[in-house]
Amino acid sequence: MVVAGVLLGFAWNAWSGRGLTLAGNAFIRPGEHLEEIDALEAKRRFDRGALFFDARPLDFYGLSHIPGARPFPENDFDAAFSRLEPLLKSRFDLVVYCTSLCDASHQVARRLRDKGIHAAILVDGLPAWTDAGHPVREGQEP
Amino acid sequence: MRVLRHPLLHWALAIGLGAAFVYASVDKIAKPAEFAKIVYSYRLVGPGQSLGYVPANALAVTLPWVEAVAGLLLILGLWRREAAALVSALLVVFLIAVGQALLRGIGVENCGCFGLGGGGRGAGLLLILEDLGLLAVSLFLTLMTPAAWADWRHIDGPDRAL
Repeated sequence: MVVAGVLLGFAWNAWSGRGLTLAGNAFIRPGEHLEEIDALEAKRRFDRGALFFDARPLDFYGLSHIPGARPFPENDFDAAFSRLEPLLKSRFDLVVYCTSLCDASHQVARRLRDKGIHAAILVDGLPAWTDAGHPVREGQEP
Repeated sequence: MRVLRHPLLHWALAIGLGAAFVYASVDKIAKPAEFAKIVYSYRLVGPGQSLGYVPANALAVTLPWVEAVAGLLLILGLWRREAAALVSALLVVFLIAVGQALLRGIGVENCGCFGLGGGGRGAGLLLILEDLGLLAVSLFLTLMTPAAWADWRHIDGPDRAL
């Protein structure tokens, strides 16, 4: 029974057209190109002056965020984009994050890409950043 | 108790349990990537730097089919005790997954238990109680042998029908 289920699962994944890439992140759709970076690379870019965006709801931003990061809540994308558009279009090194294993950063990066703006995604989000011992800031100011 | 060996009771419980598992599997089979995200949230088999994405993705791809096969066999009454034993094992795995998430303080917002919506429930004590209830049913079907229909009227017992 287990063997039958496992074989059916792998067969369905391979041939149904709905499958996912086994070695890939399920947050990224098959064939989609979104750049993901880890906390170490994010820190390198941070030190080089990259601009960070926090895709979590505003309340979470106030509790803790990467210093200098701008709030860019995925659940209010259009308003945030209107507010940040000049900044987004004036910079090339952008990084977006949310919390760990959340979809918001991917959604923001995806919608920015659709508008011709490239943003890398910090994998595992703010927890990866704090676990690596990098600084955070509280409050509504970047 | 004599009624616990009634074949109709075993059929009813097996069909109910099987239907629950088949129902639980359909959404996950249709959208494996969405289910993979839920598997990630338990942090039991990755993703992580050492494990990568493969174990969690492989589990997301295969687990719903194992659920579906076990559920279908329960509904059809084929290898019922073996299917019930497999469902028991799956429920123990679910209990471990939910329990470790609670103990480690991992917030699982969507349990992924009955379809991708999870009935709007996260991993919590209520879910553990539900799983324990289902586990009681599956263990009953695994351990208790039903009487044959033909023998049903001849089984002796304190509450035997007149």
